[in-house]
Amino acid sequence: MTAAYLARAGKKVLVLERRPRVGGAAVTEEIFPGFKFSMFSYVVSLLRPEIIRDLDLARHGLHILPLESTITPMENGDYLAAWGDHDETRRELYRHSPRDAEAYDEYGRLMHFMAQAVKPILSMVPPDPTSLAPSDLAGLLRLGKHFRGLGAERLHALVKLMTMSSADFLDEWFETDVLKATKSASGIIGTFLGPRSPGTAYVLLHHYMGELDGVFRAWGFAKGGTGAVSESIAAAARSFGAEIRCDAAVAKVHVNGRATGVVLENGDEIAARVVVSSLDPRRTFLELLDPTQLPSDFVADIKRFKFRGSSGKVNLALDSLPSFTCMPGIGRQHRGAFSISPSVDYIERAYDDAKYGAFSRRPYMDIVFPSMIDPGMAPPGKHVMSVFVQYAPYHLNGGWSDAKREAFGDAVVNTLEEFAPGFKSKILHRQVLTPADIERITGLSEGNIFAGELALHQLFFLRPAPGWAKFATPVRNYYQCGSGTHPGGGIMGASGRLAALRILKDGL
Amino acid sequence: MITAARWDAIVIGAGVNGLVAAQYLARAGRRVLIVERRQEPDDALDIGWVPTPVIRELELERRGLRIEHADPWITAPLDNGGTLELWRDVGRTADAIRRWSPADAAAWPEFCARMHKLATVLARLYTAPPPDIESHNPLELARIAGLGLYVRRLGKQTIIDLARVLPMSIAELLDDWFESDALKGVLGAVGVWHLRQGPRSGGTAFNFLHHHAGNAAGVFRPMRSNLSTILLSTPGIEIRWGERARPIAGGVVLEPSGEELHARVVVSSADPRATFASLKADLDPEFVRAVDNIKCRGVVARGMVALDGPASFTTLAIAPSLDHLERAYDDAKHGRTSARPYIEAHATSNGLDVHVQYVAAPDAGLKDKVAAALNADPSQLTLETPHDLECAYGLTEGHLYHGELTLDQILFMRPVGGWSRYRTPLPGLYLCGAGTHPGGGIAGAAGRNAARAILKDAKRS
Amino acid sequence: MSLRTTPFHSRTAALSEGQAWRRWAGYVVASSYELSHDREYHAIRNSAALFDVSPLYKYLVTGRDAARLLDHVVTRNVGKAAIGQVLYTPWCDHDGKQIDDGTISVLGEQRYRMTSADPTLRWLHLNAGGLDVALEDVSERTAALSLQGPSAREIVQLAAQRDLSKLKYFRLTEAAIRGIPITISRTGYTGDLGYELWVDAEQALELWDALIDVGTPYGITPAGMLALDVARIEAGLLLIEVDYFSSRHALIESQKSSPLELGLGWTVAADKERYNGKAALDAERLRGPSWQFTGLTVDWNSLERLYADVGLPPRLPSQAWRTSVPVYEQGGRRQVGYATSGGWSPLLKRYMALAHLETSSAAPGTSVRMEITVEHRRKQATARVTPLPFFNPERKRA
Repeated sequence: MTAAYLARAGKKVLVLERRPRVGGAAVTEEIFPGFKFSMFSYVVSLLRPEIIRDLDLARHGLHILPLESTITPMENGDYLAAWGDHDETRRELYRHSPRDAEAYDEYGRLMHFMAQAVKPILSMVPPDPTSLAPSDLAGLLRLGKHFRGLGAERLHALVKLMTMSSADFLDEWFETDVLKATKSASGIIGTFLGPRSPGTAYVLLHHYMGELDGVFRAWGFAKGGTGAVSESIAAAARSFGAEIRCDAAVAKVHVNGRATGVVLENGDEIAARVVVSSLDPRRTFLELLDPTQLPSDFVADIKRFKFRGSSGKVNLALDSLPSFTCMPGIGRQHRGAFSISPSVDYIERAYDDAKYGAFSRRPYMDIVFPSMIDPGMAPPGKHVMSVFVQYAPYHLNGGWSDAKREAFGDAVVNTLEEFAPGFKSKILHRQVLTPADIERITGLSEGNIFAGELALHQLFFLRPAPGWAKFATPVRNYYQCGSGTHPGGGIMGASGRLAALRILKDGL
Repeated sequence: MITAARWDAIVIGAGVNGLVAAQYLARAGRRVLIVERRQEPDDALDIGWVPTPVIRELELERRGLRIEHADPWITAPLDNGGTLELWRDVGRTADAIRRWSPADAAAWPEFCARMHKLATVLARLYTAPPPDIESHNPLELARIAGLGLYVRRLGKQTIIDLARVLPMSIAELLDDWFESDALKGVLGAVGVWHLRQGPRSGGTAFNFLHHHAGNAAGVFRPMRSNLSTILLSTPGIEIRWGERARPIAGGVVLEPSGEELHARVVVSSADPRATFASLKADLDPEFVRAVDNIKCRGVVARGMVALDGPASFTTLAIAPSLDHLERAYDDAKHGRTSARPYIEAHATSNGLDVHVQYVAAPDAGLKDKVAAALNADPSQLTLETPHDLECAYGLTEGHLYHGELTLDQILFMRPVGGWSRYRTPLPGLYLCGAGTHPGGGIAGAAGRNAARAILKDAKRS
Repeated sequence: MSLRTTPFHSRTAALSEGQAWRRWAGYVVASSYELSHDREYHAIRNSAALFDVSPLYKYLVTGRDAARLLDHVVTRNVGKAAIGQVLYTPWCDHDGKQIDDGTISVLGEQRYRMTSADPTLRWLHLNAGGLDVALEDVSERTAALSLQGPSAREIVQLAAQRDLSKLKYFRLTEAAIRGIPITISRTGYTGDLGYELWVDAEQALELWDALIDVGTPYGITPAGMLALDVARIEAGLLLIEVDYFSSRHALIESQKSSPLELGLGWTVAADKERYNGKAALDAERLRGPSWQFTGLTVDWNSLERLYADVGLPPRLPSQAWRTSVPVYEQGGRRQVGYATSGGWSPLLKRYMALAHLETSSAAPGTSVRMEITVEHRRKQATARVTPLPFFNPERKRA
């Protein structure tokens, strides 16, 4: 992203990627012949629309297909469905609770406003409240004015969203437990928190800020998997003249008073006026540099920056689609997502397992069948199934091993079998990715999918370290971008763009 | 039976905030009546810092205010049979810690200094009504600006600490600084006081700092004082004991007698949900909804143990580690009383005051567990669970702070957003208890702020 | 089947010639049965049009504090209404901005049925704190038909074997049609003589068949929403989400309206001690609302001239429109409001519109200009502020 914007501004840009393909955790790989998986991240919505326009990504192959529904099977055989059509969803909610059906509209409206209220913060460079620089003071004033302009009701709602647990926040609106559970689930994705942990209501909002074609909030598949998103950005970068080299792992950044280039693992040296790292903060600072090149309190802050990966992924090649007990048969429900989040307690117990160092015996799962929307992802008649799992702690008691990985995969598959009997027999191939695997393959420290937890004390002007939230680093001409910087993860691309703007402003 | 207005103000509840509010009103010449449902006063000390303005303005020192500065302020039994004692003197505490962890001892002084700075900011916030950030009043905006400047002058590190520490979990904060489980357990425990959260929950670092406000550096348990006892012996303020008062338009109605007492101003130090319970039909539904949504899930059982002789400690904390606290919380989270509860006991003149967390459901074995942990005779232990507190005192869900001190229920959000300055939508009805800013554990601040708001309103009309 | 069908669907579906359906509150209802809605409209003014209005939300409010709850919520004085009376009323939020409008039927002692356009159960619950009241959502259990037109009384009398000449405007009575128990209210959305029939959903089809049977010799005509739209504009009756936005759905302040701005000041009781929005409405009444909701009559000659300029005869909208059209002061430069519904009245032979105008430009007879697009270009036609309703026949109240 940064490369694309810099190249567009006329700079000569070289992108160095360790793996054989670009994308980091947004990649599509053909793990088993004929079956393509969005290996790690699997849905799109938070990609900023101004970026899609600026880089003309549609022309470079980006095609996002809508994801219309979410079905949550319940433990008693019933289900809760959220459909694309408002009337249909209303009717479904009404079935569970007439009052919740009405509250849902009010809630949606509030979240719409709150997302709009928070949106400008995503696109701004965080002002530093400790600095006396006029630009920072002006930024703080602007922020203050923005919050005051929200009006009392929304300001209070914002405070609640920023500080409460998703369970408590949702308790104020709804009575249907499975509804609260499904909504809470988006509040705990990628975190080391449970639905009753304060701070998870904020992540509810983060995921609500998706925009597709101007329609707030809708999630979608990228045609060709999330790798297509990365490929389209790469194509855009190339079209502006950027060069991308894969299989070119960087070992160190060369510093001589300022950053002067990089040294690859194979020994090659490449000189440059500016170096940008999109790796997570731990790698950016503690691996690519010598700690002596950095101020000691900065190093301490980076060391303190929390990762604690908690997500796993199970990618399956299926002979046929599973039939869920709650909604037997194959139908339009398979074109949407299935959420294994039957109750708030279910998710909380999954979290309890992780809290004390074990993977969830009955995990939360977010399931999609990409081949139903994009037939090219699997051979005709067969399917791919993407299962995103919480929780699988990076710091597992006794550490991850092949056996533990398989045991984790079994927990996932066995739990699914409870909700879709006969499912196991349809599995042709299985790929299980633990946080250790995510770290090993993508480089994301501790397998944290957001390159650093999205907790309030690690956000905004504190991300990744106080005073260093504006994409520059203590080393001159060395910049940082990526999910470990503002505004955080979720395939948004926002930080890449902001970083590029900063670099250009500094006079590259 | 209606009695003509003999008073200018009726205060519901003779807790410390009600008493302080009554004092300020009486000093301004108002005729004040306090109605309290307890049959008679008790001689328990009040937990919490008494803000300096309250001491000064009510001349409390002259009137015999005694503040108890326990030293050591905590004693923790260790697994290996020893004890860890933490003292008021930072150096002495560092020495005590060094035996178990030299690294922690080295970190202790800076930890105390940094936390104290943050607590000072809170203390300053607590001696005034919460900042009204939506205000257009130039005076208020100037005050907020003044606050901002004050924080700035405390330095870059303090600003960063404020932004980082307040939303953090106390577990994460303590893990950053220390390695010793026992030390972290003892410190972490106060972070979860009266919260239905464990030490790993966000916002518990704030709660930790809240209880540090007004205290000396390195002392992480609130002080105790005889504030209530002094105020109760003030002539000129009428108190009716053994009566429950319910606010109505223009006064209160006593239950069960049904007697109506009239006054232009009614100040309730009862918890907000109880205060508004009978007034719902007269209130805007969104306000009612906000009040009903106040989280006040009581999880603390308090009690007393009579002892034969003096205790060997000032305050004993049974919180061996953060995990112990977290598991105790897990039980409550799933609707049970902690299998292995966190217990704290403070020595008084005739026994121990006991604080037990988390009590979420009836548990027949609880008393025995607590007594055993304190080496006391179960028959000498009385324990009031949240349920008991609700039945005995009408305290909603038995929450002694009238509302959890979570980040969304403090400052301008306490008791509900938009109504944090002691006034209510009903003219003449005010709130002054722990359910308002600054919350429980700060003795008399809310009462003072409320009284000043009442007097200001009176001057305006 | 994703959308719901009303209890009458098997009858209405059979009548649909052009498969012209639309959504209403999550239900499917007919826009028109015939290929054009003209005849259905004329039935309203000439014989009797039969509408399926089942998608209305309906709530049963009972108990000791039933009237008290309703009085908290709505602007009209429910406590003073007599049994058998029907009240049309809006209800507001705390700031006096309108949330919705509907009717309250006083079915008996402590027994009311409330209708609304949007779901209202939650709002009623929120207002019922501390009150002794029971709330029941009977929307799906209760089917409703509306029979409107000069022959309506004859048909209903015949069907119910009852003399209804004494049933006054906005009153109701219990009755039976061929043994089917129903409530008949003299209400409607056409500003004409008409009755609404409320029946248990299980007996809906029987009722329909009975009415068709009895009414056919009198010209009973099933009619759809397109026809109803024309009639309601003639009657000056506003429609939520078209002529005003619920304050619950408004995204910005200026999208909200108070009843005073909507010409519903007459529904705002002056003798109620408290209800949602009272303080705001009292204040607004004192200073006067900044907006008025009025009728506009487009001047025919002006319209003709605009089309003649491009060599065309005047094009009139074939259906009533529901978009927002700017209205300017006489000079044509400054915008003073906007029209939200409009269309051609076949009966009055007038191009009419319902509009929101700044109070200073809203006096009856004021000359304004309404925007009209003629052959892709924006023009302005002269219009005159006309007091509502456009059409108010005597038979409506007789």
